[in-house]
Amino acid sequence: MVERGETSSTGGSDGTQDPFPSAKKITKRPKYSRFTQQELPACKPILTPGWVITALILVGVIFIPIGLASLFASQRVVEIVDRYDEDCIPPSFKDRALGFIQDDNTDKTCIRKLTVPKLMKSPIYVYYQLSNFYQNHRRYVKSRSDKQLRSRKDESKTTNCEPEAFAGDKQPIVPCGLIAWSLFNDTYKFSVTNQPLAVNKRNIAWDSDREHKFGSDVYPKNFQNGRLIGGAKLNSSIPLNEQEDLIVWMRTAALPTFRKLYGRIEVDLEAGKEITVMIQNNYNTYDFGGKKHLVLSTTSWLGGKNDFLGAAYLAVGGICLFLAVAFILVYVLKPRPLGDPSYLSWNRNPLGHLN
Amino acid sequence: MKRYVDINDDESSYDVYCDNRISNRKYTILNFLPKNLWEQFSRFMNQYFLLIACLQLWSLITPVNPASTWGPLIFIFAVSATKEAWDDYNRYLSDKKANEREVWIVRHGVKKLIQAQDIRVGNIVWLRENDEAPCDLVLLGTSDPQGLCYIETAALDGETDLKTRVVPSACMGIDPELLHKIKGVIECPSPDRDIRRFDANLRLLPPFLDNDVCPLTIKNTILQTCYLRNTEWACGVAVYTGNETKMGMSRGAPEPKLTAVDAMIDKLTGAIFIFQIVVVMVLGIAGNVWKDTEARKQWYVLYPHEGPWYELLVIPLRFELLCSIMIPISIKVSLDLVKSLYAKFIDWDQKMIDGETGTPAHATNTAISEDLGQVEYILTDKTGTLTENKMIFRRCCISGKFHGNESGDALKDVELLNAIESGSPDVIRFLTVMAICNTVIPVQSKTGAISYKAQSQDEDALVHAAAKLHMVLVNRNANILEIKFDGTVIHYEVLETLEFTSDRKRMSLVVKDCENGKIFLLTKGADEAIIPYAIPGQQTRTFVEAVEQYSQLGLRTLCLAWRELMADEYYEWSLAFKEASSSLVDREWRIAEVCQRIEHDFQVLGVTAIEDRLQDGVPETIETLRRAGINFWMLTGDKQNTAIQIALSCNFISPEPKGQLLLIDGKTKDEVCRSLERVLLTMRITSSEPKDVAFVVDGWALEIALTYHRKAFTDLAILSRTAICCRVTPSQKAQLVQLLKSCDYRTLAIGDGGNDVKMIQQADIGVGISGREGLQAARAADYSIGKFRFLKRLILVHGRYSYNRTAFLSQYSFYKSLLICFIQIFFSFISGISGTSLFNSVSLMAYNVFYTSIPVLVSVLDKDVGEETVMQHPQILFYCQAGRLLNPSTFAGWFGRSLFHAVVVFAISIHAYAFEKSEMEEVSMVALSGCIWLQAFVVALETNSFTILQHLAIWGNLLAFYIINLMLSAIPSSGMYTIMFRLCRQPSYWLTMLIIFGAGMGPILALKYFRYTYRPSQINKLQQAERMGGPILSLGNIEPQARSTEIAVSPLSITQPKNRNPVYEPLLSDSPNSTRKSLGTGTPFDFFQSQTTRLSSSYSRNCKDN
Repeated sequence: MVERGETSSTGGSDGTQDPFPSAKKITKRPKYSRFTQQELPACKPILTPGWVITALILVGVIFIPIGLASLFASQRVVEIVDRYDEDCIPPSFKDRALGFIQDDNTDKTCIRKLTVPKLMKSPIYVYYQLSNFYQNHRRYVKSRSDKQLRSRKDESKTTNCEPEAFAGDKQPIVPCGLIAWSLFNDTYKFSVTNQPLAVNKRNIAWDSDREHKFGSDVYPKNFQNGRLIGGAKLNSSIPLNEQEDLIVWMRTAALPTFRKLYGRIEVDLEAGKEITVMIQNNYNTYDFGGKKHLVLSTTSWLGGKNDFLGAAYLAVGGICLFLAVAFILVYVLKPRPLGDPSYLSWNRNPLGHLN
Repeated sequence: MKRYVDINDDESSYDVYCDNRISNRKYTILNFLPKNLWEQFSRFMNQYFLLIACLQLWSLITPVNPASTWGPLIFIFAVSATKEAWDDYNRYLSDKKANEREVWIVRHGVKKLIQAQDIRVGNIVWLRENDEAPCDLVLLGTSDPQGLCYIETAALDGETDLKTRVVPSACMGIDPELLHKIKGVIECPSPDRDIRRFDANLRLLPPFLDNDVCPLTIKNTILQTCYLRNTEWACGVAVYTGNETKMGMSRGAPEPKLTAVDAMIDKLTGAIFIFQIVVVMVLGIAGNVWKDTEARKQWYVLYPHEGPWYELLVIPLRFELLCSIMIPISIKVSLDLVKSLYAKFIDWDQKMIDGETGTPAHATNTAISEDLGQVEYILTDKTGTLTENKMIFRRCCISGKFHGNESGDALKDVELLNAIESGSPDVIRFLTVMAICNTVIPVQSKTGAISYKAQSQDEDALVHAAAKLHMVLVNRNANILEIKFDGTVIHYEVLETLEFTSDRKRMSLVVKDCENGKIFLLTKGADEAIIPYAIPGQQTRTFVEAVEQYSQLGLRTLCLAWRELMADEYYEWSLAFKEASSSLVDREWRIAEVCQRIEHDFQVLGVTAIEDRLQDGVPETIETLRRAGINFWMLTGDKQNTAIQIALSCNFISPEPKGQLLLIDGKTKDEVCRSLERVLLTMRITSSEPKDVAFVVDGWALEIALTYHRKAFTDLAILSRTAICCRVTPSQKAQLVQLLKSCDYRTLAIGDGGNDVKMIQQADIGVGISGREGLQAARAADYSIGKFRFLKRLILVHGRYSYNRTAFLSQYSFYKSLLICFIQIFFSFISGISGTSLFNSVSLMAYNVFYTSIPVLVSVLDKDVGEETVMQHPQILFYCQAGRLLNPSTFAGWFGRSLFHAVVVFAISIHAYAFEKSEMEEVSMVALSGCIWLQAFVVALETNSFTILQHLAIWGNLLAFYIINLMLSAIPSSGMYTIMFRLCRQPSYWLTMLIIFGAGMGPILALKYFRYTYRPSQINKLQQAERMGGPILSLGNIEPQARSTEIAVSPLSITQPKNRNPVYEPLLSDSPNSTRKSLGTGTPFDFFQSQTTRLSSSYSRNCKDN
């Protein structure tokens, strides 16, 4: 053969410099690593019947006991729910509920009697429940100033609080905003067999809120002084971090139906006992058809009475078991070997189509 | 427009033309920010995000802190701006280096060392050996007494051979000492980008007065970025400087290519955008209605009775902002990131390194890897692409005698050697033409060995062969050629060189025998450019037969001819030639016309046959890719027969009876039309038959077909899986690409030479083979590979994986964005349709950018099936080609999944966290963690192969979510202070997560399992086959029936010589499947053919539907 190596590429350059990329590339061979070659060891699970059915059964087997446990816990919770908004309107005001609630001079006191269905172990939580109340409305939820609540020097930071930012004389309202302004103001007094039942209203708010979100040097100012009175008034000599009802109220609810902690009863209540509640029915929900409930509830490891989780676990667990059984049946009745290349469409039917 | 360059004039032209400062920079420090921002904002997506971000500044409507949009937006802009700035800075540095390089120039009659950027038009620049030309120069003198110099133009056109440049005749022989005093005027055209052409004139001024205007060609120039080689020094006058050089003019960013996947993503984005507008309108109207009917009653909201004029707009705009996350802002960045990784994988691939030269594959264009997986047509060049472009002289036919037919090597042919021995005049003339009718430069090394530097591989082969046959080209000094024949030295003086052009298809040399003063015209060229011009009376039949026979063997033929010229005839002609070559307009055409006048009445000496071997693995590659449903067209400048033979030998077409070749020919419009219609008819009839039908067309008929019968030809193109176009010009190649593109096919053009550049740039994907014809094609291409066979891996492995990964990544990005957006929409129904955001600003911002983007990025490592399996079952590529993994219906699946998951997360969150637990921040966090859990498991479920990195990313990300949120919960001023700590302590939180997981993933798993097992796609079947460890059938096993024994005779070969096999044997024995050996055809075409015609027709439908 002819010696031809010289005739190609390097073209007679003396090699002192190699400006061409072709020459550089030779030295610049890519480095080998499993990553660069996309050859990292990989585990490639596939959905075999065994794997999938096992997984489904496993889910079923785990979920159903959890569901039962949750349901059980939920059932153990003793709960007294009493709707009082309608019944606390005196018969004479039946058609003028709004007028009744907005009139400062009417007697808002209302007596309710509740029977304890089962033994309620302390602590018994007292909640008020509002429904159709949109604490999550955008106009409402934004209308607060965390800075102002936290420290006295930020008292005038009321940017988001409109329309409840300033009192008539341009003085900032503390606490400003619609949330604080609409503070819930029904009160409850409990008694059992004419003995007053103490309701502990301390520590009903989150510790973190009391310690960090609401300042100990911030006192209510110009609050509920305006033309329009919203909800409760605040004692302006008590710093905000001790106004626990306010702190609880300011933790806005995500749902239009919500419960907020009112206090705790720290004695057990025997089954069959009758509790008398004296309600000051001040809060206006008649305007928008919201309901008011008084709730007394014990608690479990899952929280209050809520069957949802238990039911959901049972349902999902059941469906998984059902699917598992169905897949087993299908597998037995219509076995289908996996991984047979003869199933490939181009192997199976020469004239057929790729599906 | 013309420019006049005053040589060595220190004043006049200073202000007229720009200086030699090179600037490739796109930006300056001052305009960087505005220009870059302007560029970024010219994209619709960015405008949209900017609009959203601006709307968020209006605190009345913004649901969250504006930072949640501005943050990612600024981040994304900063990333691309930084990338641009870095690129530009690098360009600046390289410019600076070039600009500050020191060069010797003449100023005020004195040689001075100055920086390259200070060179002015008209300056005389001195170059020493291995210097790079700082600007475009016209040579004035060199160290060589003949006025020659050698330059290397690799940076300009990628060709690595040396080229000779010659001092213009007017400057020839000027004493080097006087060169720096030279004065003159060069009349040259305004700067253009044509690096093959420089039509100018030179007139020297006293004292170097020369009455003649001296014509200048590209042969007299040294263009910017060329290197001076093998020449001690050279000097020239700067004619074009700075960015006005030919190199500078041809720079410029190529049009960015948009992949089909990108187009689909854009389309889907548009659809989501419309969906978003609809949602916004519906919710906006509902919100306003609710406000007027309900919210006025909710006294605690204190809605004013009279709102501002824009009140009606407020709620829709709030929803617009709330829903803006539907279009994931991170998708662009994620896609850019993974695309550059795809490109890196190609660069890094050890299996695509050319063993011979060590050239790795390279992805120049990092943005179009997905398109590789969607290729439908491959248009390939022949020479150098399918073949090695390693020319070896094999046979010849000298005056009717065939040499080399028996042994397959003319160099060993006894008869020929004897003829040389005996000094047969015909043979000697033949050898003389072989040895000197070329532009090869012999370089004699110190040891006396001669090596040749040739621009054309054919010439190289001929010269080498002649040397073996004792006719050695020893030296080429300016006009004197020195050859040695059997010890005697013969000198020829070259009078004119009539260069090769693709129109004339021949080159000639006019030489004078120095001994007897006779003038000869020596010509070599294509048969149709020589034989018709043979001297009347010469028997050319044997030559025609020889050409026929050789080309059937797949050999490249050249005819050699000569003619003795009468002195008068020559002188008369040479005047015309000189005039033509100094013309400034239409020089090329006029030269061709003048050449025509002398190139006739040839005495044909013989035919040479040069073998160009097929590259390794070409037939296998073509067969595999054809089974993958890719159609092949071969576009070549070669002869029809050669092309067909090559096509047969590399599985391109099958011989009868499996295959059928239809010929489109004709010289006139009507003939072509008839032929075209006939072919179309046959095509339509046979399209139902399992037959491999291909059509062949030559350049002339193609031109007519494209001009007058475009419609019919387009129909044909759609019908035909295979085509061979021979004798086509570079622009015809590009036209064909354009034609296929206009039918909505995704085309890939592959080639290796300068003649393929147009086609490569035109195609959706251009692949260049960094081969022997230089790097020109590789530079213009999006991908460059060392050998044709790597195309298989490039498409089936890299292209396919890229497509699959991008399909998953983009749809998943929409899934996760839609998921969180649906939850927001659901939440608005329980928040009085007021546009409250359930999630806080930090979560919203981090959700897209941090929490969900990392797991999905590792999907770039995912492999659905192994590389081996894909290679064995290339049909699987169909899923990518037809866009089965990313289209509106798969997208609908993801859309449905996100809706389902949103329902699950939302319903469970609000029910499990009802009543006393319904605290805003807690519910928000529960829902967010639900989303994060689900998305982690969705990625896990959709991942086919888990490497350690995937595990790290998916589970690590879930962990990181908790760590980040626990940290955020520790900051007292943050809105979610202590939330995460509280949640993590509650059993009900973990139970909620578990039930979200169970309810969200259970049905998905069951559905996926059901489809996987009972409605599996072919990909699933392969996955199963692969992982069950069962035997994956190889090609041989699939073959349904034994092939009928010997039908090796191709229909077109009239004389199929026995000794064809030795030539092609090595190729076939490499193939894994020896059953193909005898045939060189693919696996059963009967299913393959029909199936793929179905496919191609369905593609076209697909494409049209889109």
